[in-house]
Amino acid sequence: MGERIGGFGRALFAPITVLYLLFLLAPISFFLLMSVFRYSPMELYEPALTGENFARLLGEDYYRAIIFRTLKIAGLTALFSLLLGYPLAYFLARTRSIWRGVLMFLVIAPLMTGVIVRTYGWIVLLGAQGTVNTTLIWLGLVDRPVKILETELAVLIALVHILMPYMVFPLFSSLTGQDPNVEKAAATLGAGRWRTFFEVTLPLSRSGILMGSALVFTLTAGAVVTPALLGGQNVQMLGQTIYDLVLSTLNWPFASAVASILVLCQFSIIFLYFRGGRRRAG
Amino acid sequence: MPSAALELRGVLKRYGSALGVGPVDFDVREGELLTLLGPSGCGKTTTLHIIAGLLSPDAGTLRFGERDITRLDPQHRDMGLVFQNYALFPHKSVFDNVAFGLRMRRLPKDEIRDRVGRMLEVVGLPGVEARFPDQLSGGQRQRVALARALVIEPTLLLLDEPLSNLDAVLRKRMRHDLREIQQRLGIATVFVTHDQDEAFEMSDRVILMNRGQIEQVATPEELYDSPATRFAAEFIGEANLIEGVVADVADGAAVVDAAVGGRYPARLPDGGARSGDQVYLMVRPERVDIATAPPGNGAVPATVTKRVFSGDLLAFTLRTENGHELVASKPSVAGYRAIGPDAAVWVDLQDCRVLPRES
Repeated sequence: MGERIGGFGRALFAPITVLYLLFLLAPISFFLLMSVFRYSPMELYEPALTGENFARLLGEDYYRAIIFRTLKIAGLTALFSLLLGYPLAYFLARTRSIWRGVLMFLVIAPLMTGVIVRTYGWIVLLGAQGTVNTTLIWLGLVDRPVKILETELAVLIALVHILMPYMVFPLFSSLTGQDPNVEKAAATLGAGRWRTFFEVTLPLSRSGILMGSALVFTLTAGAVVTPALLGGQNVQMLGQTIYDLVLSTLNWPFASAVASILVLCQFSIIFLYFRGGRRRAG
Repeated sequence: MPSAALELRGVLKRYGSALGVGPVDFDVREGELLTLLGPSGCGKTTTLHIIAGLLSPDAGTLRFGERDITRLDPQHRDMGLVFQNYALFPHKSVFDNVAFGLRMRRLPKDEIRDRVGRMLEVVGLPGVEARFPDQLSGGQRQRVALARALVIEPTLLLLDEPLSNLDAVLRKRMRHDLREIQQRLGIATVFVTHDQDEAFEMSDRVILMNRGQIEQVATPEELYDSPATRFAAEFIGEANLIEGVVADVADGAAVVDAAVGGRYPARLPDGGARSGDQVYLMVRPERVDIATAPPGNGAVPATVTKRVFSGDLLAFTLRTENGHELVASKPSVAGYRAIGPDAAVWVDLQDCRVLPRES
């Protein structure tokens, strides 16, 4: 706080500032502006201010359902990533095993294959002839293949898997950043393992929980490829909707309104994260 | 002899192939402050963590009264531990930090509030309940950590280098305050430090440790006057170690021919010694007498090679005629002030002690 940033510091910041201005602020301003323009079938848009794009988006049940579904899937993905990722991050942070390095690599490894490859992998696993269904039939739990593809469940499973590293790493770093003596102190004061976890470890990993959840939520909310390939038309989310409006329907003002709502949702989550993180024990 | 609160027998801990600690045997007596003193890596903190139950020993037993607590989890030991870095809960207020152990014991709210308030008064920090650890100074955090450990009325108080993160002035005051609180509450305490001054000023007894082994268990005065080993002599204060040969042993005392020249009476170690043994003659610097005129028989001629003035004391480095170096520490009074560097003097050795010369 209050530290002086000299000319050298400013010079270091220059490239990233230019990059953000050109490729983040400029496009966001562009579509925020576009979202209040009127659609024109001949010229894409006419620069006349109107609220009809937002009125339609928030008024029609179809679009309201898409917004609600996007928020629901993003929330559930963040929740399940947290529930599955926390034990993994905890184990990685506390283990002294020689396998720790290997396990860390396995957590990152999915990031090295493209999102499309991983999504197709899930299609193979979850399809009617896929591993999951053949196993269920072989176990006698079902007699006919269960429809998993083109459901929200398929999208949820794949997103939790694909985005897991974004949850595990913030958790891992907040857990390794804790003073190990604090847990020991709780033990000497009479707290068993579970009490120590809920009283000390969990609250002290708050910043990791918030960070990981915010990352996974915003990435899910903006996901396009995975919902499109695994959910199809049944699981329309905001990302795909924008994609279709821009490239097929060519209704740029309406697409911009959808994008504005998406960015608004994402920014409010990030805002909440920073407000939460500023509180004690971040 | 006061009864033992805690007994350690044959306690051993290995790290991989390297020896961590032991086997060590010692008792912590009721109401005493027992210090584990030694250089870093000597196993003192490992020993403390074994007592607290944070580490389990590979062999040996810990008994608390009639009870074998070797395998008891730390949360059931009722011992208060103060960590070197205090390890306060950063997300809890001072009140919640101190109340933690009482809440684990499911005491009623009113009683918790009373006891936390009273304990903060005992440690000299009333009225800070609502603050958070990062709003406290190092010394205040230390007192909160102490209150948190003491409020559960532990059977044993364990202190792991609690003063090493404080500045010099505060450290001196906390030494006194800690000792005063410990004596007022009459609580058996194990104190870990690498600082000899701390150990001497605060302890009833000191356990000197080196490389995972106990070198000596003694009161501070015994440890200073009668170190049992060369390590003890050199770790505690300063010592002149002069090679010598035992000339005669009679009535529990020896006469030693020292390499500096001269023959000196000396006290014997526990193991005794026989005529003809190769030994060290240990003399503390303040027991090396210096005179500008030959004081009589026994004195050896020497030259002052260095003289350091530190206010209350003068430290002389001397070289005897046959080339041995001795250090002497003398009060900074007129007679000694007059002795300058390069002065020719006579030295005599008082209160010598025989130390075994192994390997």
